[in-house]
Formats: sequence, structure tokens, C-alpha cells
Amino acid sequence: MEFVERTARSWMLFERDTEVNQLVAGISSGQVALLDIVKALGEYLTSAEDALRTKGVRFLSLVIEQCPKDKLNRQAVRVLVTFYCSKLEDTETITPALKGLSHLVSFPSFSSNEVSDTLSAIFMHVNMKALVQSTRFFVFNVIYSLVNSHRDDLKKMGDHFLSSYAALASGEKDPRNLLVAFKIARVVLAEFDTSKHVEDYFEVTFCYFPITFRPPPNDPYGISADDLKDSLRLCLSASPAFGSLGIPLFLEKLTAGSPTTKRDTLQAMSACFPVYGLTVAREFGEKVWSALKLEIFQPIDPLTEQTSLDTLREFVRVLQPSSTPTDGLGDDIDAHVRTICNDCVEAIGEPEKAQAKAGMKALCTFVGISPNLSFYTVTEAADTLVKLFHDPGEVSNRAAVIMLLTDLLNALALPSNTSEPSVLHKRPLSTGPTSLGYPWPSPLESAKDALLGLLVVGLKSSSTRLPAIHGLSALLRIPSVVTDEELGYIVLEVGEFVSKEPYEVEDVTIDVLSLLSSISTTAAHHLATQILPPLFAALPDCAPPRDAQSERAAYWRALCALSTLCVQPTLFETLVIRLTAKLDLLCPPSPSMSALSHVSYTATVEVEEVESTAAYAHAILTALADTLFAKVSKPELAHDVPKYVDRLLPHLFRLFLEAAITSEQCILTDPRLLHVGARIVKLVVQTLSIEQQQKFVGETVAAFLNGGVKSITGGEFSSLTDEFRPLRTDASARQRGTVTLFAAAHIPIRKEVPVILKGRDGTNASGPISLSALLKNLVEWCDLPICSALQREAACELFATLVNKHTDDVSDFLDDMLKNYWSATLNNPNISSEVRCNSINTWVWITKGLVVQSHQLVSSFVDCLFTLLEDGAVDWSAARALGALAESDHVLTKRNGAVLKILHVQRYFDAVLPRAQEGAKKFDGSRRETAYLIALAYLVNAVPKAMYTTQIPTLMPLLLRGLDVADPAIRSHIIHCLSNNITTASDDQSSLSTYASTLVVVMLKNCMVTDMPDHRVRVAALKYLSLLPGAIRYDLLHPYKSEVLKDLAKVLDDPKRVVRKEAVNARTNWYRYSG
Amino acid sequence: MSGRIFNENPTIYALSKKSTRKSRFETGQSLWVDMDDCQDTSDGSDVEPIDQDEIFELIRSISDPEHPNSLEELRVVSAEQIEVDHNHIMVEFTPTVPHCGMSTLIGLSIRVRLLRSLPPRFKIDIRVKPGSHQSELAVNKQLNDKERVAAALENPALVETLEKCLETAGSTDHSD
Repeated sequence: MEFVERTARSWMLFERDTEVNQLVAGISSGQVALLDIVKALGEYLTSAEDALRTKGVRFLSLVIEQCPKDKLNRQAVRVLVTFYCSKLEDTETITPALKGLSHLVSFPSFSSNEVSDTLSAIFMHVNMKALVQSTRFFVFNVIYSLVNSHRDDLKKMGDHFLSSYAALASGEKDPRNLLVAFKIARVVLAEFDTSKHVEDYFEVTFCYFPITFRPPPNDPYGISADDLKDSLRLCLSASPAFGSLGIPLFLEKLTAGSPTTKRDTLQAMSACFPVYGLTVAREFGEKVWSALKLEIFQPIDPLTEQTSLDTLREFVRVLQPSSTPTDGLGDDIDAHVRTICNDCVEAIGEPEKAQAKAGMKALCTFVGISPNLSFYTVTEAADTLVKLFHDPGEVSNRAAVIMLLTDLLNALALPSNTSEPSVLHKRPLSTGPTSLGYPWPSPLESAKDALLGLLVVGLKSSSTRLPAIHGLSALLRIPSVVTDEELGYIVLEVGEFVSKEPYEVEDVTIDVLSLLSSISTTAAHHLATQILPPLFAALPDCAPPRDAQSERAAYWRALCALSTLCVQPTLFETLVIRLTAKLDLLCPPSPSMSALSHVSYTATVEVEEVESTAAYAHAILTALADTLFAKVSKPELAHDVPKYVDRLLPHLFRLFLEAAITSEQCILTDPRLLHVGARIVKLVVQTLSIEQQQKFVGETVAAFLNGGVKSITGGEFSSLTDEFRPLRTDASARQRGTVTLFAAAHIPIRKEVPVILKGRDGTNASGPISLSALLKNLVEWCDLPICSALQREAACELFATLVNKHTDDVSDFLDDMLKNYWSATLNNPNISSEVRCNSINTWVWITKGLVVQSHQLVSSFVDCLFTLLEDGAVDWSAARALGALAESDHVLTKRNGAVLKILHVQRYFDAVLPRAQEGAKKFDGSRRETAYLIALAYLVNAVPKAMYTTQIPTLMPLLLRGLDVADPAIRSHIIHCLSNNITTASDDQSSLSTYASTLVVVMLKNCMVTDMPDHRVRVAALKYLSLLPGAIRYDLLHPYKSEVLKDLAKVLDDPKRVVRKEAVNARTNWYRYSG
Repeated sequence: MSGRIFNENPTIYALSKKSTRKSRFETGQSLWVDMDDCQDTSDGSDVEPIDQDEIFELIRSISDPEHPNSLEELRVVSAEQIEVDHNHIMVEFTPTVPHCGMSTLIGLSIRVRLLRSLPPRFKIDIRVKPGSHQSELAVNKQLNDKERVAAALENPALVETLEKCLETAGSTDHSD
């Protein structure tokens, strides 16, 4: 006791938390009774001095706040409640007393008896208007706790509580208190019998609507307008009794309000309609509809329009309850809903007008509310549209009619993102009127025939064709409506446009093809029988002559259509068979046959012919590759691709390899054809399993290294006139070309597949050769003067992929490169710079294989490149190479099974950037400095901007100096880099603003056709200029505004269209640029 | 904007597809179907003169002052109504209703857009389509009088409305 008194007294002096904690600890351990504290405080609690009294009560409340909830017995709570209630009369102690009460009410021993005492005392003594916000907050909290924990007791208090609380809460304005008040009101309205107090509670809730509160900047309480809106909305929709009072208020706010208020009101209405119920909805039906109609038919903005449509849906949902299926469909439609429908249908009556679209949007919201309503709406709308379509007076509006119909069908259709082929596969075709066990017939059931007929008629005329195609694809997305037979009919009608000339069908081809390919996933047989035959027939057996431009366009159109349509497995199989057959005709399988078939041609015709034929074959291969690419890009379409390793690839290899060996002129030696061939090989091989890849790569090695060509051509090969040894350094140019295919075969191979190389001569005399030896040989092969660009590219890709996946097996090779090759070729000033540039390229691709796995050898290889930056003969190539190493490529990708370390670009970049920066910083204007600047430009441009954002301030001056380098590629690289970073740089005001004037001048110089002949640089500079006004404060650049506008006016007359387009953009942005 | 709406239920037309310029293969310049020839098409130094399509591209996406639609959607402007000579451009536009009080504003927005986007060597004439407006002559006169246009552009309220119409001009959502 003494301890308690002492502690209490010491708190009264010092107000330290420790005293409170000591006493709370005492209570928790049972050594101190709360009543002892009251006694100890006795003199203060009753002191005549206001300050002391307040302080005493405050201390008690502080102790209670922290006191464990189970330590106070019923008795103690009773005493404290009585005490606090008595203190409410006293203006000095009311605040701490309310605070104490707000904690006390949550104690479990706070019993029903205390509830009414506490509330009566509060209602009697508390005058809210006289209290500050924080004190009022305690009052709301006391009541909120009681509402939650003693709801039944409050209900027993009945009218007294309801009316007193309403009076207490009215006039509250502080958002913090309102959040609590709204929570209380929500419970009271939802659970208490408020029938006698509807108006009171309407007052204390609806008076806040709409919430216009905007939180002050840096609001520490973090209450947003949305918190309040959501909370209030729950109150407004808490009781059906508000219906007849609330709706007129809503309608008034809706008509008068700003867009934000409108949306708020509409959302509140959506929440309230279901609660207010059918009677209220009917009572105000007409007024609500006329208000919503205005918002929907003359929308102020798209968002409000959408919100209005949502509200309309809720409203109609209330008016039109779902009913059980009866015979009289459409008979049980509510009168108001009928009116709404009629109004919308009437708007559709003028289908070309803006309001027709709005009316259709409204009708579409009814779909799905209830089956009978869907049926009614769809039937009404469809009937109207069908009538309009066939009305001779409305012929000019047919396109508009079909577009409206399409909107309706889209509302009924599955969302297009779920109409993926996998879903469509499962979708059953319509079998009868009531499939899927759906109790209602589909809303389209009765109208379907008429609509299908209408759309097919629409196809016939050019003005309605495109809308009709869109309509049909919407129709097909509606589950189980179209039967298989009808699908066949659609395919027949639509297919007509596939093979027509574009000018005949006004370029609906893309849409037709997408419609047909969506059909191909479920009903491929219709395409196989109706669409594909004419397309295949459109492919001639031999290439059209050089001047037959339209024939050439026709075969390419047919090929494009085929490649879009034939992704489905059976169709793809047909495509492969037909197209390879065409290829066989174009590239005669054996030299002897070629001689026979061409015997009648004169030599000059033949030369002419060869290029056209090659171009035709190239188109065929491209179509195949495009289809494969489409299949491989989608996992669900790729499952049949692996089998083509045994069908398509051997065929292609035979054609290409025979061409390489024969002495006749053959189109398949053309590098462009080899390139597409390689693309096909890569696409197929990447889908193979490890075992299949192993077998395949073994066959490839046997063919290309050991001359065993038959292993890869499926056993077929015409007699050899020559040995097939493309990798020998003395191989003919034709044979060398096929290395592209060899590389393509290796690029997608996983690293788990070992590369087993047999003896080079197939005689096994020299035993198995190592991978290192192969690569060394390949470097030599690459450095031959006859090596073409495509061959070098193939070799480089092979270096990258093999070094990457078999790094340990090729360590000999890598050592050799660093020691011997470096000194003998790369860094040998006696060798011509052209050869050395090529070897830098080889070097880059070998290093790339290491960079992506962050290999330790990377630094040695990169050091060499830095050494070359000092060498005037190859410095620019070396600089470019440093950037190229950071670039991503199509060889070392995850898809191709490359060994990739995460953040490898970052590591490389972090290692190289400081060195490049260091070298570029020496302002000596030397060639060496320029080389470093170029390296920097290429490097920065090759990596994502996030990697160097922090470095921007130091990079800026270097990049700007780089713009003085005349080379257009470097300039456009730097400008791209600056554009990418303009937003980042502008956040950091200092870096961009400092250079603002320089940037404007430099960019203006680079966008003039007189100063900068390369249009890509001009475009880049203009793009940058158009970004500047958005990134820099007006006051910094306004002196340049008139100059920029004047100079850009000249650029508007640029000879290039792309440049003019950018100039217009830039100039527009500068016109809008103002303070 | 004034409360009066001249045409509250205008006809909306479908947008025409972007006029696609042909690739080298399609024009017969090359035998080869090349996917990556887009770069070399514009590589040469051949001059591409300003044509009808390019002018239309500039004005098609200007907003109507009265509706949330573009001038193209309302068929106020169309490519066929534009003529380009050596240094002369003639743009004709069609108001949606003959009593449309917004016609001058629409014409002015076209003029300002072209002033900003075309080289100064062009003389630009803007006309209402003959017979499509009740005060055709007055509108034409106002739009082609240099002094009057300059005076109109001194009026801050008018310029604000004008900038609003031009905000959407050049938006690339339907081209490309």
C-alpha cells in the first residue's frame, strides 16, 4: 500500500512512464489491487484544484489502459465505472474519464448492468459540441466497443439508445471520428429496429453524401477519401428503410454533380438497390431510368459511362428476379425493364447514330442477369436488327447494323482471352436445343438462323464484309450455338475471300484468316476439304518469270494464308507434304534429272530463271519456317513438331546436301535459302527430347565430318560425284555454305548431349578427334579469304554454342586462342586490318559463350580487346566488340539450352564500364580517346538502363562528347541511350538541366537533312527533342522555344516521311510547352 | 463549352484501315520475300513527297469539339477531300449538320494543326464541303482570312478549346 502511494505521488510530480509500468506490473502479479490505487489517489481524485483532479483521473486511466484484462474483477469494474460516470459531469475530468471508460468497456468483466449506466451517463452529461476531436473520439470508441460486445444490451435499451445516439452523432465533422461513427451506424441500421428513427439516421448518414473530403498533404492519419466513401456507402446501403428517402437524393446529386460525384453516386446506387429492394426500385423506376439514360446515352466520359452501365445492371437485377423456366418466355418481364428495353431498342432503330451504340451497350448489360431476361433482350434486339437489315430503306446502314449485332454477340460470347485453342477443344459443338444441361434454351436459339443468314449476306457486299467477319467470329465464340454443319457452311462462305486478290476483297484477308484459324482448332476437316485445296492449287509448279509480278504476289499470298491456317497438327502435316513436294519440283533431286528437264531451255533463260526459282523456293521455305515458329511459340501447338525430325529434316538435308555436291547450277546453294533452311532446323531441333537430340546430333556429325551423308538424309542420296567435306579448308564454296545447317543443328542442343566426334576421315585411322581440335580447325576455316559473311556467321554461332555448353571440353582450344591465335593473328600488325576485324568477330562469339555463364576466362579475353583499343588499325572494331559482348543474341538463349548465369550482363558491365570510362575521360582528343568513347557508347546502349542509372551524372558529359564522332551509327546509339534515360536523368535535376541548352543545340544540328545525311539519326534526334519539353522545367528551356520551332519548321520539309512524322511530333510538343 | 449541343446524336463511322504502304516485294522491286527488309526500304536517298495520305494522317485524329469522337469517325474529314499540289493544299471538311455552330472551330483546328505540321512553303486552303453548311460562305471566308485567323488565335479561351481538340491529334492508337 505504501509502495502504491509512493509511486502515485511520484507520478503526480514527474509523470514518468516507469511509475505506470511499476503499478501495472504490481497488478499483473497480484501484489497490488486496483482499489488500492484508487485509494492512494483519493486526495487527487477529489481535489478542489482542477489541474490536480484532471491529473489524478488521467493517471488512473493510464494504469487501466495497460492493465491486463483478466486482472479486474466484476466488483472493481463496477466501482470504476461508477467513478468515471460521476467524473463525466466535471468538465475538467471528462477527457481522462472518457479515455478510461474507452478502455474499461473492453474488459470481460464489464457487465450488462454497467452498459446502460455508462451510456445513460454519456448521453446525459456529454455535450459533443463542447468537446475537442480527440475527446469525441473516445466517446465514439466507447459506443463502438459496446455495439460490438454488448449488442443485445443496447437493443434492450431500445428507443432511448437509438434517439440519443443519433443526437450525439449528429454534427460530427472530423474524418477520424466519422470513420468510427459510420461503423456504428452501419451496425445499428442493419441490426436494430430503427423503424421509428429512420429520419434521424437518414440525417446523420446521408448528410455526408457525397464525400468531398480531400486529405491534407502529409496527413499523418492516412485517411483517404475512399476510406470514407466506402465506409459511408456501407451505411447508406445498410437499411431498406432508406429507400424512398435516399433515391431522390441520389438522383439529385447525379444530375448536378461533377464527374467524380456522379461516379460516387452511381456506385452508391449500385450498392443500395439490392438492399432497398423491389418495391423501392419499382416506385422510382421511371426516374432512375431517365437519370441513368442520360448518363448512358450522352456520356461525359468513358469511366462514368461504364459506371452507369454497372449501376443499370444492378438496378435491373433488382427489378427482374430470376424465375423458373416456363413456356411463356418473356411473359414475366417487369414493366419497367420492358420500358428500358424498349427505349434501348428504339435507339438501335437508328443504327448508324452514336446513341445506337449506347443503347446496345445497355442491352448487353442485361445478358446474364437472368435467363428469361437474356432471352427477352436478345430476342428483341436481334429481331429489330434483322428487320432493319432487310429493310430496303436502310441498306446504307447495314454495316452499322452488323456492328451492333457483333456487340450483342460479344456479350454472349466467351471472353476472347479464354478462347484459347485448349478451351475451344473442350467446347462441345451444339447438339440440340438444350445441351450442357442448361435449363434454359440459349438466348440465341430462335434467332440463330436469321442471324447467321444475315451475317452471310453481309459477307457478300464490300461495305459490310469486315463487320460480318467480326460478327461471325463473335458468334463462334458463343458456346454450343453453331453446329458442325453450320461451321462447314461458314467456312465455305468465308473461304471464298481467302484466295481472292486483295483489291477485290478490300483487304479483309487478315480477319478472314484469323476467323478460319479459330475454326481450324475445332473443325480442321472443314478447312482441309474446302480451304486448303484451292490454296495449294494457287501454288504453281515452277516459278513465275521475273516480270510476272502479280503471279509472284499471288503465290506469296497463298503461302501466307497456308502458313497462318496450318498450325493445327493434321493440317500442318498436309502442309509439310505438299510444300516439300513443291520444293522437289523446283529443285530437281538429281543432277541428271535437272539436265533432262532443262534441256529445252536456252542458257540465258536459265540464268533468268534461276533467281526467280530460288526466290519461290525461298518463299516456300519461309512459309514453312513461319508456321513452325507459330507452333513452337505456343506449347499446346508444339507437341507434334518433334516427329518432323524424321520427315521434314531428312528431306531438306538431302536437297541442300545434294545441291552442295553437284556440279550443276542449283538454287539451294543460295545463302538466303540456306538461311531459312537453318531456321527450320533450329525450330524443329529445339523441341526434341535429349535422346532424340543425341541421335540427331550424331547423324549430323557423321554427315558433316565423316562424309556419311546418308545418315542424315534418311538413307536416300543420289550418287556422289564428289566427297562431302564442308569443314575441310579446301572445301568448295558450295560445300562450305552447308555449315550453316551444321551450326543450326547444334545451336538448340542441350548441354547434356555429348558431342562425340569420330575420326576425321571416317577410316578411324587417326582415332577420335577432340572438340578443341574441331574448333581450332574451324577458326582456320573461318579465316580463309573465301569465307563469306553467312559462313562466318554460322561458324561464330557454332563457337558460341559449343564453348558455352562444353566449356571444360574445349579448354585446350581456349588456351590456344589466348596464347597463339592472339599473337599470331589478332594482335599481329603485319596482317591486314580487314582480316583482323573478322577475327575480332570470331573472338567476340567465343567470348560470348563465356560471358553468359560469367566464366573466369572472360577477363583474359576482354583484356585482349582493351589492348586492341590502342591499335589504330582495329580500334573501332574492338570498341564495337566490347559493346557486342553485352548484347543479347538469338543463339545463347534459354530456349536453346544455353548455360546462363543470372545477372551475367550486370557482371560483365560492372567489370568493363569503369575501364571504358577511365579511358574516355582523358581529354586529349586523340584517336585512342575516341575509341574509348565509342566503346562506352556501344556498351551503354547494349544493356538495360537500370544498370547504369546511378552513373548517369558521370556518363552524361562523355556521351555528349561522343556525339561529336561523325559515324551515324554511334550518334544514333548515343541519342537512343540519352532518350532511354531522359526520365531518370530528369529526376536527378542537376544532370540533365545542366546540359539542357547543349542538348537542344546538338539535337537540332542532328535533325537537319543538310547536316546529317542518315535519316535514322535524324529520327532519333527528333524523338529526343520531342521528349525534352516533358523532362525539363519550362523556365530553363523557354529561351530556346522560338528557335526550336523555327528550325523544326525546316525539318517538316525533310525528304523522308518517317523524319517528317517525328518532326511534327516534336514541334507539337514544343508548341504545347509552356510555363 | 456552351450548353447548347448542335447535334446530340451524330452518326459514327467505322475507321478506315491505315493506308499501308507497300513493301519492296509487293511493288515488284524485289523477287525475295524478306522479313527484314524494312530497313533497306527507306535506306536509299529517294525522296518521299508529302501526299494526300500524309495530310490526312495529320488531321484524322483531331477531336470533335462536341463529341468524344475524332473528326475521322464523324466523317468530317476524309482522305478524298484533300488535294495536294506542288505548294498548295486544299482541305475540304463536312460538318455533321448544316446548322453546326462548331464548323468554324473545327476548320480552325485543322488550320492550326496544319500550320504547325507542314513546311511554311505550302499555301493552305480550308473549305466547308459545298452545300453542307447554311453559312458556307461566311465560314470559308473566316477560315481563309489570315488576319481573322491571327485574331482568333489571340483569344485565350478559344485557344484553350482549340488545344483540347488538338490534344488527340497525332495519337498513334489506331495507326501502326
